[in-house]
Parts: sequence; structure tokens; C-alpha cells
Amino acid sequence: MKEEKKDDGVMAEEKPYMFWIWTLASTIFRLFLIFSPENINLSSRPEVSTPHTSLRRLAEGYWLKQSSLSPYAGSMYHGSPLLLSILGPLTVQRIEGQSSHHLCSLVFVIADLLSALLLRAIGQKLQKSYRMNLRPLGVLRSSQDRGILPCGDIAALVYLWNPFTILSCVGLSTSPIENLAVIVSLYGAVTRRVPLAAFGLIMATHLSLYSAPLVFPLIFLLGYGLDAPPIKKFLQTRHGGVETGSTSDVSKQEKLTPTTQLPFSWRTVLHFVFWVLVWSSYVLVLCSLSLKQYGGLEEMFKRTYGFILRIEDLSPNIGVFWYFFAEAFEFSRNYLLIIFNLYILLTSIPSLMFRLKHRPCFLAFAYLAFTSILKSYPSVGDAALYLSLWALFVNELTDMEYSFFIFCGYIGFSLSAL
Amino acid sequence: MAAVNRDNEEEVKTDDGSPKIKPRPIVRLGIFLIAHSPVFSVVFSAAGVLALLLLPLLAKNTYISENALMPGSARSMLSNRDVSDGSKLVKDIKNFRLNHEGQGVEVQKLIGKYMSDMGAEFSYQKFHPEGNQFHPLHFFSGPDSYTLLENVSCASYGVNVAGIIRAPRGDGKESIVLVTPYDFINGGDYEDLSLGIVSSLFSLLSRVTWLSKDIIWLVADSRYGDYRPVAAWLTEYHSPSFKVSDLLKCDEQNTADNFRRAGTMAAALVLKVDGRSEKFEDTLSIFAEASNGQMPNLDLINVVNYLAVHRQGFYVKVEKVVSLLSSSWLKIFGEIFEAVGKLAHMLNPDWNFGIPAADYLEGSATLASSLYSQALGIPTGPHGAFRDYQVDAITLKVSPRFPPDSKTRQHDFFLRGARLLEGTIRSVNNLLEKFHQSFFLYMLTSPSKFISVGVYMIAFALLVAPLPMVAASLYIDGCKSLTNSTHNPTENFKSWKWLDAAKQVFTLHLLGFIVTLLPYFICQVPGQHSPTNRSIMWGTTSSSLLLITFVTMPGCSPFSSRLHGTNWAILKSVTISAAFIGLCLMSIINFATAEIGALLLVPTCLMAQPIKPALRSRRLKSLLGAFCSIVLLTIGFPVMFFAISKGLLGEGLVGLSLGGEFWTWLESLWAWKSATYLYIGMVHLPCWLLCLCILFHPS
Repeated sequence: MKEEKKDDGVMAEEKPYMFWIWTLASTIFRLFLIFSPENINLSSRPEVSTPHTSLRRLAEGYWLKQSSLSPYAGSMYHGSPLLLSILGPLTVQRIEGQSSHHLCSLVFVIADLLSALLLRAIGQKLQKSYRMNLRPLGVLRSSQDRGILPCGDIAALVYLWNPFTILSCVGLSTSPIENLAVIVSLYGAVTRRVPLAAFGLIMATHLSLYSAPLVFPLIFLLGYGLDAPPIKKFLQTRHGGVETGSTSDVSKQEKLTPTTQLPFSWRTVLHFVFWVLVWSSYVLVLCSLSLKQYGGLEEMFKRTYGFILRIEDLSPNIGVFWYFFAEAFEFSRNYLLIIFNLYILLTSIPSLMFRLKHRPCFLAFAYLAFTSILKSYPSVGDAALYLSLWALFVNELTDMEYSFFIFCGYIGFSLSAL
Repeated sequence: MAAVNRDNEEEVKTDDGSPKIKPRPIVRLGIFLIAHSPVFSVVFSAAGVLALLLLPLLAKNTYISENALMPGSARSMLSNRDVSDGSKLVKDIKNFRLNHEGQGVEVQKLIGKYMSDMGAEFSYQKFHPEGNQFHPLHFFSGPDSYTLLENVSCASYGVNVAGIIRAPRGDGKESIVLVTPYDFINGGDYEDLSLGIVSSLFSLLSRVTWLSKDIIWLVADSRYGDYRPVAAWLTEYHSPSFKVSDLLKCDEQNTADNFRRAGTMAAALVLKVDGRSEKFEDTLSIFAEASNGQMPNLDLINVVNYLAVHRQGFYVKVEKVVSLLSSSWLKIFGEIFEAVGKLAHMLNPDWNFGIPAADYLEGSATLASSLYSQALGIPTGPHGAFRDYQVDAITLKVSPRFPPDSKTRQHDFFLRGARLLEGTIRSVNNLLEKFHQSFFLYMLTSPSKFISVGVYMIAFALLVAPLPMVAASLYIDGCKSLTNSTHNPTENFKSWKWLDAAKQVFTLHLLGFIVTLLPYFICQVPGQHSPTNRSIMWGTTSSSLLLITFVTMPGCSPFSSRLHGTNWAILKSVTISAAFIGLCLMSIINFATAEIGALLLVPTCLMAQPIKPALRSRRLKSLLGAFCSIVLLTIGFPVMFFAISKGLLGEGLVGLSLGGEFWTWLESLWAWKSATYLYIGMVHLPCWLLCLCILFHPS
């Protein structure tokens, strides 16, 4: 399964136009799966669609709303009201002779394609900065310049051809859209388009609460610049006598400051915070407008974020919480809820933040990988996201030892989990 | 296992830099195992085979694990009146048959009338016998996603009759199902007897006060096989189709809106009366294997076995491979084990693991049959349909010792058969939950002896244990030889060198997947084709696909030049890892398939090595190794293995008819949605091809 994308990665490295062929092929493959006459009932698989991302529940919520009830009535729908307004009409419209979910599936295919293109752009940026960083360090000689892999292409193809992504795209779950929001925010931060980054973050947080701590990697990304080796490395090299021209284009002032502190551009970050406030108030106003008759924002927070945090749906999924809370005693439930939710937040963010502050993209990857295992309703779509972000770092990973064993283990365990 | 080894690997590497730190014992153990992997792989594989042979010795006696069952504790309430009710039904049916030849509908009405006379609700259900269509998606979909066939003809359809007794003490949420397959048109005398037994019981159950679960009696129309009508009824029971079926218009008899249901099924018993017993007593055969080797809860078998042996005096048996009973090598093993057991008993009287050689033979014949039917993944009776809905069910086949027309014996036979069923139902009736207390994963070596999962997994684990070890050691070797031999500019790909080999492995697995799906398209080819023709079509398309793969992807071909080819050690390492993952996955889905597959695949994978250096060196040892790998590869080819196993069973097959037979066999596999078919296509075949590639590797 996963070998396929390695395959593609090598292909893409050889010929640039291969990327577009593989992209097209993946789109056709998705369309083929969507329009093939048989349905495999993927949407009822707990691995693919969780109570939080299932499109069937969304259709149900839309139906409730059409009949002037609260979309959250009856604990069926737990997603965002905005998604309901966008995707809801699509769930009832049919192309003639086809089942009604095809339009939504098309939206998901487009979302996947967009995510892949954005990933590619992120990767190209990262690749450029990788090259910029290596040159002053003297690691990179001109003969090895070709050895840098086009990590953007690889990451995009990994995203497109990952069986997990395909499953969640075909399996009628809204996770492609959540992934798109996360990738948009990362793209905005990498290309320093502050409003876009803020918009992506707010949308991702609105769709799934677990994206909220991504604000830290984004702030680092905007403040410190792209991923680079630790500043100590540069200092050592300079003291070693290797005189170089310019370092990374984003951290130009660094040459002037002889400290080991990275420069932090507070202006951009404040700009970012301002935009976050703007977008969040905007989203909140829209939500309150759409839920005016049905209990307003309070109801929304209770039914979406409350549903995620309180782990109300105990039907089996691939996570760990449902089992734990199905067994837990009622009186200790609140205590355990606090512990579990804090655990996700406290173990991942602070420790990684100090360790990886010079590599914000990797910090984002590490955080996403961590939450995708520990979130309350995980699905394979989350795994798709972090695996493709992981592929952004192929250049760094070429030196990874024992990749083979890790790879075999990953495939073995993910297959047996399914 | 892989995880442990991997951890060890990483540790070893870090320790290489600083030799002062002594690695932890488990790490040292890992290094030791990997360093001596050839020896250990032989030892482990041999131990795995030995453990498999030892299994009949390790079987434990069954015991009733759930206390609530209390089998046989209540006195049977079945009276002569009930039995005479049953006898009357049988007599009526027989008379009716004599007068009205070939009118199945009337017999159904007769049975329906009996049911309603006893105070039960009854309903008819029409179903359409479905053809054995291969559909690739059926492997992955649940039983409820059957789509109704369009344009059904009225010419052939079956009618099931189902009667329900509402329990006086129940809330209608649970039920117990009794099934009697019955051919309404030309049912024999023995089939009438099964109706007689159940109707005697039904007459009793309609009066008793202790019933807390509804009783459903399904008379399945077995004109189209035993399984299909039961499956159709269960589908209708669990997931009713709201489309108006065309079948309803076929007859004036309206069956649409009166389909009756009771609650969730706690257990199901299928009763068949079949043939005359060869023994002195009436014989009761128990069939339990459902699709993909799933078994019902052991407690159900225990209850039936206990009641049949200790209360009603039946001779209980389970299926066994008869040809093994006379095999001499197994007998030798049995005698050796017996001698060892006796010796151990002499040394320490507490060691009582020896069993007589005859018992060992019996046990292994039964175990072999159990393994075989589980590995095939085809249910051994109509009870298989229940297992798809997680209902515990078994088929009881009773063979009376008297000829079917003997009136005097019939009464006694009905009495005992109905009492057995009554006791079982009474036990299940006691349950508050579903069966959960006893084992679901087990194999029977006799009706009262079983091997639990913890024991039989040891054999499999020992068998596959060499795979990760050899993979690790080969990988390390391959990496070393690569770094020594080449100094290419892309030095930073040090740890990703396995990617080429992985690509080849993946391509061949993809090819295996396509080959697995090919029969679907071959079945779509218009016109009637014999199985032989179809198999030829399949063979030619698959081999041409293989050739195309080899031509278009030079890295994959075993005949490519040295430049393109990958290092064979790394290729073998990746192959072995793939085989290991595949086998472990299969052992979760269907243990028996994985066990038999491992017996074939593990030696093949371990022995595979390039033949050219062996021929060049002309040393006896390497020539012997090459010969062994060729032999193993020949046996490992699925068609070949099929032919050999057929030959062992005494049906010699040669040439094209073999292909036809093989096709028919596979057809039966996919008709039953057996995962074994997927295993053959997607794990066994690719790994076999990869071993072939390694064999002809140009190094």
C-alpha cells in the first residue's frame, strides 16, 4: 500500500511532468471509485467516518434543519453549521440516475486536489530553504545539489495516492475538508500570507477542535521563519571560519545578532493575532446567524466542541477513548475527561515547542501525528494528513536508519488494525 | 516479533559507536538470534511442525463454562402425546404425498396448518435461489448488502415456512431458532423424520410455561440446497427489503406483509435426519464450521454433546479425515508419543500427557478435518448462514439405526431426538446474555476434546518466527554488500536502498490483486464456457500480464541485466517481510488457512536463493539447497498443490482437466466469500512469484 507512494516519489523525482500524470491518474481513480456501480459501504466503516465527520449524519442534520428543527436535535449531527449550509444542499441534490452523495464526493475530490497542490507549494518553499540553509553550513556541495528531492511533489503524491486519503475521500467523510483547512493555514504561514494563515486556522478549528493548538506552530512559522537547522549549527560553522554569503532569506537579521536567540518578528505575529480575531468573530457571527432559531452559539458549542471533549458517543472507532470511557465509572468520568484532554494538550505542545521551535513545520507534523492517535474520534483521514506532512521532510529523512523496519511495522500494524 | 527485532536493531546500532555500554539482555538475545538465523530458522520451523503434530496430545476435555446453562438438570417434560402429534404430522405428509404427487405448496400449507393448530404464528417466505456470481466486492461487504436480482422468473423459487411460539415468560426480544431443511417436492422418508422430531418438540413447547425466549421453527425449502433458503430467510429477517419483489406476484398466495419476527437470536439448531447409522446406536454428527473458519461458542457444542451422550445415549461424532486413520506414518508418531508419555509417567506419576496411539490417530484425523474445513472457509451446513449474523448455530445430523419405515422404532426415536432438543433449548433458555463464556477460537479433536487458541497459536508462531529473523539478517547483509560494492553519488540514500526491492514486491502484489479480480471479468465473457476453457483464459491472461509487467518494468524481471536488478538479499528480505505480514494478517482472519499457508510458504521463502551461483560453485551443499528450493517452489504453486492434494486423496488428475477442477474449486471458494481465495491471490501467489524471481536472480 504505502509502497505505492514511494514508487510515485521516485517517479516524480525523475521527470517533472510525471507529477501531473500521477495527479490526473489519482483523480480518475477516485472518480472511478465514486461512480462505480457497487458501493462497498465504506461510509459505514468506523475507520473512515466517525460520528464527527460522517456525511450521512450531515445529511440527517440538514434534513432536520429543513424541517425547522435544530440540526443538532437527537444527537445525530455534531459538525459545524457552516459546513451544513455548504454541503447540506448537495446531499439532497442528485445527478439523474445517481445516488445523492455524488456531488459531495466531487467536492471532496476537489478538496483533495487543492490540498495536494498546496502541499506541493509548501514543499517547494521548504526545499528552497533547505538548500539555502545547507549551503552556508558547507554540507552541500554543488555536485550534490541534485540530490535534494522535490519534497513538494513527493508530499503531494503521497497525499493523493495514500490509501487512507482515498478511503476517506470515497468513504463520504468530511475529513478531506478538515485536512484542506489545516493545509491552507500551513500554506498561508509558509508563504507569509498572514490573513490566509489565520483563515485556515480558524476554519480548521471551527471544523475540528483539535486543530486549535496548531496556532503555536503557525506563530513560530511566522515569527521565526521556515524550518532550519538550529542556530547553534550556524554559529559553530561561523566560528569554524567558513565565511558565507547569506543565510536563510527569512532570517536575515540573524547575522547581525551574535546571540544564540533566534530573531522573532513580533509585528507579523501581532498581525496574525489581529487576523485571527477578525476571522473568528466573522465565523461566530455567521454561525449565530445560521443557528438563530435553534439555540444560537451556546447550542453549537455544546453540540460540537462539547461532543468532542466529553466523548459522548461510545461506539467503537480506531481510537482508545471509547473503550476506556465505556468501562470507566460514572463518578470518575469528569475527572478522567479533564485528564485525557489535558494529556493531549500538555504532552504534545509545550515539550515539542521548546525542542522544535526552529522547525515549526515539523512541530506541526508532530502535533498532528500525536493528536491523530489520541483524539476522541480519530479516522484514517487524520493519518492521511500527517503521513503527507511527514513526506515533506524526505530530505531530512534520507538519513533515517532502519527505515525498512519502521516501514514494515507501520504497514503491518495499520493493516491488522483495519 | 518484528517490533522486538526492530527495537533490537536500533539499539545495536547505537551501541556500535560506544562499545563500552553493554547492551541490555533482550538486545543481546536479538543480536544472537539474528546472527545465527540459519540455525534458528531450522530449529523454529521444525519445532512449529512438531508442535502441530503434538496438538492432539495437548487437547483438553471440554467443560461447560457457563453455569447458567445447567444442562440436563430439569426433568424432560416431553410426553407420549407430543410424540404422537409428531408422528401424526409425518403420517399425514406421507399420505398426502402418495395422493398428490409433486405438489409442494400443499405440503407447506399442511405444515402451516399444523403450526397454527399448535397455537403458533406462522408465515411463508418466498425466496429466489441466487446463482454463484463472483463479485470482488462481496468479500468486503456484509451479508446485508445483497441486492435483489432483477427480472426474477416465477419458474423457480422456494418457499420457507416459519412458525413462532411466543414465550409466556419472555418479552419477545430474544429467540431460539430450530431449522429443518425439507424438500417439499421430493423429500425422502428420512427428511420426514426430522419434521417429526421437531413437531413433537414444538407441540410440547407450545404448552410449557418456562419458556422465556420465543421459539422459531423454520422449515427451509431445501430444493435449492440447504444453505441458500436459510440465508434468504435470515436476510429477510434482519434486513427486510422494502422493494416489492417480483416473486410476490408469482402466486396468489400473498406472503408480503405477514413475515413474522421474534427478537434477536440466541442460538440456532439445524436438525437433519440422514441415512442409516452403521453403529449399533443412533449416531449424532455435529457440524460447526461456518464461513471463514468461524466456530460457534464451544458451550453450545458442549451442551448438545453432554445431553446426547449422558441423557439420550446417542453416539456423538464429528467429521474426520478417514484416510488418515490408516496412515502408517501417523501411527508411528502416535506410538512414539505413547512411548514417551509412558516413560514420562514412569519418571513422575504426575505427568499424564501420554495418550494411546489409537486415540492419537483419531484425534489427528478429526483435527485434520477441522483444520481443512476451517481453512476452506466454506460452511459445513446451513448453520453457516447464522454465523454471518453472529448467531451461534450448529447442525445436528442424526442417523437412526432402523430403516425409516419402521413404525415401532420411530416413536422411541422421536422421543429421544425431541428430548435432546428440549434439553438444549431449555439450557439456552436459561441464558441471560448471549453465549460468551466459553471459547470461540478452538479446534475439536473429538466431540469432547478441544484445543484452544492459546495452544494452537504456538505452532503457528513457531513456524513464522524465523521470518523476521531471517529478514533482518538478510537486510543487514544486503546493506553491507551494497555499501562495499558501490560508491554512487547518492550516498544520502543509505537507508532507503530497500525501496527498489519494495517497488518490485509491491508491483507483484498488485499483479496478484489483479489476477485475483480477473475471474470476475472472465465470468462476464458472453457465451457458455466450460470450467476448463475459463481456466485456460485465466491462465493466459495472467501470464501475459506477468510478461507485460516484466517487459515494462525491467527492475521487476528476474531475467534483467545486472544493472537493473536489485540486490537479491534485500529483495528476499522484503519478500519475507511481506510474507510475514500477510501470514500474520491471515492468522487473524482465518487461522487454519494461515497455518496451512505457512507450512507451504515459510520453507519456500526461507530456501529461495539464486540458482546460478549454486550451479557455478558445483558444491554438493549448494546444489542440494538449489534442488530443495526448486522442489519447494514446484509444490508451492497453487495449481500444483491442488493437484498433489487431490492425488493424495486418490483422484489423479492430469492435463487440462486439472485446470477445470481447479477453477471449479476456486469458484466454490468465492461463492462462499472465503478469505482463502483472497489469501491465495494476494499473499501466496505474489510471494511465490517473488521466490521465483529470487531463484532466477542474475547474481
